[in-house]
Formats: sequence, C-alpha cells, structure tokens
Amino acid sequence: MITAQIVVSGALMGLVYALVAYGFQLTYATSKSINFGQGELVMLSAFFSLTLLDWGVPYWLMVPGGLLFGVLLGLFVERAAVRLALEQKSEGWILLTIIVGLLGFSAAENIWGRDDRPFPTPISSDALHIFGVSITPVEISVAIGVFALMGLIELFKRKTLLGKAFEAVSADREAAELMGISATRTVMLSYGLSGLVAAMAGILVSPITTVGPTMASALILKAFSVAVVAGLDSGFGVVIVGIFLGSLESLTSFYIGSGWREAPGLILLILALAARPNGVFGKAGIRKV
Amino acid sequence: MKRLLLIHGAEVIALLLLSAIPLVVNNAYALGLLTLLAIYGILLIGLDVTVGYLGQINLAQAAFLGLGAYASGLSVSLLGFGMISALAMSLLVGLVFGGLLAFPALRLEGPQFALATLSFSALSETILNEWEGLTGGAQGLQISRPALWGHPVTAQGFYWLCILFLVIVWLAMRNLLSSQWGRAFEALRDSPIATDAMGIGTYRHKIAAFALGSALGGLAGGLYAFNFQYLQPQSFVYELMVILLLGVVLGGRKSLWGALVGASLIALLPNLLSNRLLFQIISILGFGIVLISGGRGLIQKTVRPFQAIAPMISMGLLVVGAALVTNTEDWRKAIFALMLFSVVVGLPEGLMGFAARFLSRIFHVPPAPLPSPASLDAALPAKSADNVPLLVLKDLKRHFGGVHAVDGISITVHSGRIHGLIGPNGSGKSTAVNVISGLYTPTSGSILLHGKPLPGNMFRVARVGISRTFQNLQLFTELSAIDNVMAAMKGVYHSPLPMVLLGLARREERRAQSDALALLELVGLQRQARVCAKDLTYGAQRFLEIARALARKPELLILDEPAAGLAYPDVSNLIKIIWDIHQRGITIILIEHHMDVISELCDVVTVLDGGRVIAEGSAEDVKRDPGVIEAYLGTANKITAAGVQELSANPG
Repeated sequence: MITAQIVVSGALMGLVYALVAYGFQLTYATSKSINFGQGELVMLSAFFSLTLLDWGVPYWLMVPGGLLFGVLLGLFVERAAVRLALEQKSEGWILLTIIVGLLGFSAAENIWGRDDRPFPTPISSDALHIFGVSITPVEISVAIGVFALMGLIELFKRKTLLGKAFEAVSADREAAELMGISATRTVMLSYGLSGLVAAMAGILVSPITTVGPTMASALILKAFSVAVVAGLDSGFGVVIVGIFLGSLESLTSFYIGSGWREAPGLILLILALAARPNGVFGKAGIRKV
Repeated sequence: MKRLLLIHGAEVIALLLLSAIPLVVNNAYALGLLTLLAIYGILLIGLDVTVGYLGQINLAQAAFLGLGAYASGLSVSLLGFGMISALAMSLLVGLVFGGLLAFPALRLEGPQFALATLSFSALSETILNEWEGLTGGAQGLQISRPALWGHPVTAQGFYWLCILFLVIVWLAMRNLLSSQWGRAFEALRDSPIATDAMGIGTYRHKIAAFALGSALGGLAGGLYAFNFQYLQPQSFVYELMVILLLGVVLGGRKSLWGALVGASLIALLPNLLSNRLLFQIISILGFGIVLISGGRGLIQKTVRPFQAIAPMISMGLLVVGAALVTNTEDWRKAIFALMLFSVVVGLPEGLMGFAARFLSRIFHVPPAPLPSPASLDAALPAKSADNVPLLVLKDLKRHFGGVHAVDGISITVHSGRIHGLIGPNGSGKSTAVNVISGLYTPTSGSILLHGKPLPGNMFRVARVGISRTFQNLQLFTELSAIDNVMAAMKGVYHSPLPMVLLGLARREERRAQSDALALLELVGLQRQARVCAKDLTYGAQRFLEIARALARKPELLILDEPAAGLAYPDVSNLIKIIWDIHQRGITIILIEHHMDVISELCDVVTVLDGGRVIAEGSAEDVKRDPGVIEAYLGTANKITAAGVQELSANPG
C-alpha cells in the first residue's frame, strides 16, 4: 500500500515534469532550440505570482497575471538569447539561454531573497482517501491544470490559423516562409507559449514545493530527462515518461535515500541518449546530403 | 625566423614572468591566486578541446575537476600515494570517465550533447555528496599535500610544479592541435558526414577529444586538491561550469593564449569584484570597449544591429549596477551573466581573437611558408586501368517506408572507366550513391567491390578505397583549402600519438602539405591554398571537394553532380579535371544532369527512373533510347506527327 501511495504522489510530480518538457517541445518544433534557462522562468513566474498575491490580487486574477509574466519572459529569452543564433544558424543559443537563466537566477536571489517561502492557495490540502491512497485536492489541481493547458495548446495548434502556421513552420521552415508565414514570428509565438507553460508549471507546483530561487533547478533537470527520453518531438509521449520518471524517483527516494532521488532521471537520460538519441517516442530523421 | 622569434618569444617571456613573480612578491595570498591561475590554465586548455575544436557546449568540465580532485585526495589519504602517482590517478580518472561519457554522447550533437554533459555533472555531484563513507559528503574532505619523491613541497615549490605542468600541457597540446588530430577535431565540428566519408572517423576523434579534455580536467583537479587541501562537492557545481565557459569564451576559443588569458581573468575575477571601486572601473572600461567596437561595427555595417546594441545595453546595466549596488558579491552571478552575454554576442572570437587580429597587423607575422608541391605521382599514384569489374551492384534496394527510392538496380562498374549515372530528379541516383558510400544501409541486395561485399558504414567504405563528393557541399568550412585536403590525406600519417604529442611528427606534416598542394594544383586551386574554405567562390568549393576526395587516393571516385550550379567556364574546367583524374586510372562514377558533360566524358551511361535501371550503354545510345526520352520528356504517343498534321488541317 505504501508503494502505491509513493507511486501516485511521484506520478503527480511527474506530470509537472511533463508540462515543462512539453514547453521544450514547443520551441524545439519551430526552431530546433530549447531554453536551457527554462527552470528560471518557472521560478521567476512563481515569485511574480506570489508577489501579486502579496499585493492583494485575488487568486483567480493572479493566475492570468502570472501566466502573462511567463509569456513576456519567454519572449525576452527569444529576443535576447535565441534569435541571433538562429539567424546565424549556430548553436550559440545553448550558451546564451544558460546566461539569461543565470541572470534571472541572480535577480531573483536579490529581489526576493534566498529563502524558500510558502505559496498560499485557496485549494484545500486536506487529503482525500481513494482506494486507500491519500491524494490532496492541490495535487489533483496539478493534474487538471497540466492536462487542461496541454489540451488547450494542442487545440490552438490544430484549430486556429495561427496554430496552423505554427505547425507549418514545425514541418518545414523554408516551405512555410515561401508560403508567406514569418518563421521569426512563429518562433516568437513558440517561446511565448513555452513561457506560458513554464509559468503554469510554477503556479501549479509552488503550493507543494514552496517558492525559492532553487525551486526549479532540480525540476528542470528532470524535465530535460523527460523531454529527451520521450523524444523532443514525441507529443504526448512526455506524459507517459513524466509519470514513469516521477514514480521511479519517488520510489528511489523512499527505498534508497532522498539524496539519490535525482539519480534515476539522470542515468535514464544518459542511457536514452546513448540508445535512442531521438527518444523512445521520437521519430528518427533520415540524414540527407 | 622572425615568425618563430615572435611566437616563441612571447611564450618564453610569459613563462619567465609567471615563474619569477614568487621571487619578488612574498605573499601567500597572491601565490595562491597564481597557483589557481596555472590550474585553471590547464583546465581551460582541456575545455577548449571540446568547446573550441569540437564546437560542442560541454557542461561537464567542472565535474571532471571535482572527480580529479577527489581521486587525488583519496588516493593520498586512503592509498598513501605520492604526489606524482596521485596526479597520474587524477589524469586517469578524467580519461576513463571522459571516455565512458563520450560513448553515449557519441551520437549526439548540440543540445543533446550539452544535456548529456549536464546530467553527468549533476550525477557526479550527487555521488560525491551521497557516498559519504568515501568522500565525507557535504562535510568535505581534508587532504594533506603529499611529498614529491620524498621531499615535502612548499607552497612556492607547488606553484612551480603547477607552472611546469602548464608548460608540458601547453607544448603537448600545441603539437597535437596543429597536427592531423587537431584538423580531425575541426573537421568533425564542420561536417560529421564528410568526416566519415573521408575516412577520418567521427567516433574515434570525438571520444579522443572528449577523453583528452576530461583528462586535463582531472589533472587540474588533482592540482586543485593539493592547492586547497580541502574539498567539498559544492565547489564543483553548475556555477563554476558557467565561470569556466566564461573563461574559454572571453579568452578566445581555439587558442592556448586564449585559455591562459581566460584563466587569469577567472582566477582574479572574484577579487576584482569584491573591491567596489575596481569593479566600477572595470565595468566602465568594458562599457567603453563595447561602445567603441559596437559603434564602429554599426557604422561600417559589419555586424547586425543586435550584435552591437545588446552588449551595450548589457554592459550599461553593469555600469548602472556598479553605481547602485553596495555589495557586489551578492550579484556575482548576474555580473558573470552580463559580462558573458556581452562577450558571446559582441566579441564572439574572444579577447585573444580580437588581439590576434590587432597584433598581426602590427607585427606582420607571415604564415609559415608552404613546401613546393609534390609530383602528382606521389600524391595520386596512377592505377592500372584494366577494365575488369570493380564495383558490382546486385538487385540493390533501398526503401524509405513506402517510397521505393532504389528498387532493385544491378550495375557493374569496370575499373578505369568513367561510368555515368543519369536520370530525372527523384529517380534514385543520389540514394544509390548514398547506399554505395555507406550512408544508408541497403534494404536488400548486395554491393561488391573486387568481389567482396562492402562494409555497411561510411567510414569503413572510405577506408577500402571509395571516395566521394557531395551534391550539397560538405566542406570543412572553417579550415583552409590545404587543410581540407590534408585532413582527408591517406597513407601519410603513421606516427603514434606519443610522437605527435612530443612534436616528432613534423616531417609527415611537410609531406602531407606538399602532396595536398599537388592535388590543389590538379584542380587549379594552388594559389588559394591558405584561403578558408567558406571564403572560396562556389565553383572553387566544388573543385576543393574533388581535391579532398582525391586525397584518399581512391580506387573509385564518386562525383555527385559536380557541375550543379557551375558557371560555363567552370564546367569546361571541370571536364578537364575529371579527364585528368581518369588519365591516372581512377575509376569514376559521375552523376550529372549536364548531358554535354556526360557525352564528353562517359564510356558507359546507366539511366535510372523510378528507382530502376531503364537503359545502359554509350551516351549516344541512351540518348536515342525511347524509354529514356519518355522518362525525361513524358509520353509522345498521344500526339503523333500524323495527329499533329491532322489537327492543324482541321482546326476546331
């Protein structure tokens, strides 16, 4: 029974990894780039949302405010760290996104302090017992939030004109440009969406983990693992891998020691890269010359 | 002579200065900083192998520093090792773990490689923290500096030891990186596909480069342990990694001097930052530099606006911050970030790259003179053109899902011939060539060279004597023309690695140079030998690909649309070049759209359509073949000549 409990709470955490990993997929689809400082986006959005609450903004208004902040951060990352490298067809964005992330981290340390702070939420954290496993409404809200946001973005991609432009650039950047779609704007859109996803992850996870500058540094490593193990173009594959990894690490943490909880994700990532560089659910590309 | 004097003179002066400082300055703190400088120097030279030469973002170097440090520390405290054997242990640990990490990281490029190294660092930090029985965990590990061959080592002596190691590493790496190995690393960065197709080998060089860089990280770690004599896992985390990258990028990639400059900066940086006045001066200086260089770039339109303006904003923020913030230590990460951002965007070649351009203008250091070209017989030995079956394709198929790109072709190529391969777009020519050269594995069927099946990977195929060019150019763009050819050179380099490290392989270098010059002469590029491949004209780049393919001394040369996009005079040059190669008895498969090129050169032509052979024979024969005409022009039977007459006779 205790194992089931651990697996369920691990899996719920895994959904947050999946959500952040989904944010990587969005930008990877349009530009083959990801934000190495995405963890800082999660953290900064969480801090900003907390500040909104401190100012007395009601919870239902704080959520869109925090999400908007995430979008703006995502757009900033695209402008400052990604666009130039993409124009030069270089991989300079790896280093530049790390740098922008470091700047954000330092800013958070100095603006909000180095200590972890609780994140109030109107959702109850009194456990419900379902089949002998206790789940809190906060945890359920995480699951709902993750699926709702991913579903909405997928709907947006499929049903709206802008979303179709997004899909077109993902499929073939050059062809899309010839059809009059601006690839640069689409990449901006993907970074904005990715920032939105990061902010959502921050708002969802903060009531459970508390808010602090380092709140996302472990989370982001696992989101990387999930994205790479599933494949950066695997769609909903991240959900399955996220749930798997979340449960695996909480089992590790319980049975081996909490210091080792990061280990399975990291080992899994290195092994997955070695065995299937395109991910378990990814598509292998054909090399063309 | 002047060249040698200038280059080595600077090195000797720097060495003398560095070694003499402790004799003048008697200050334990300053000595500690200098020791750290030497250690960082070794570390950054190692990091530069992956970041500069392989062009990959490596986030594991801080972890290798840590692993090396713990390896030394533990082998002294647990195994009672002396100084040298402990350092050898550190080097070995770096080498082995670097090699192990390189294996899974082998197939990875760019972000995936960065992620693999990032995971490795996080994993090693976890292990150092959690394996408390061995490492002492977060409590840290106390180490005493062991004796050197029975003699206790003072802080001053240890500093000189570190300088000695730095000099050894410097010399060995200079020899290595200016040899065939260095060229292979750069080839790998510019085009992994061509690196395999030219028989250089991506895997071995990627592993070697990464293991080597990591070994230097391990060695630096050993020295680090004996310098501080106290280790904690927290010292080797992500932040240090970013600082190390700052060192390499700020100093200048692909440069030993860059690594040294970067090392001095990052060793001194924490001190510069802790003094507020000094920090303000530095930030204003930095702001001045980006203002001037960015402004000049903007006026001369040599850079994009973003490249000039973003560093100005970033350094401007630093100046404002320096004026407002009282405790700069709190903002350390942001300061690193702003500085690194300005350098990466505004000064991508680093301080030494910038200075090198400047210095070479003042001192006019001429490049080392090239030897005279070898005779073509030495560079490209003639083969007997005995007209026997050389390459045989038997019912070769390659399907991509439902697309039957190559659908059962059988072709025999005879030695010494020029064998044309033509067909409309999408007929399977390029796929056939990619299967032969090992890029794609065949779905079924066999390929025999001299009656023996070909190995199914590009590197091995290149090694058995098949060389190719690419329809979409795959040059090593950052290398000069002559280095492109030398990188692919076969049968010249025999010296084992230790000889190369000791600098005893120079004769081979000269021979490779003169052979490469002979090949460049063959394609008419001898005057552009020193020009960087990406700066050559399009036509010259195509010819350079041919010269590079010839450096393999191939038995069979595959030319994949060599005339595509060439201007008319270049096409006639090309015909002459191919004819010259043919004269040396080399078998050629020529894929082409230009019928005049095909008619003029080919002994036999195979026509493909829809992945199948539809005709074979002399150029004249296939031109008249109704099947070929149909494939190229469509069916003619609907409108016969009679029908046309009838139509014009009865309009409407």
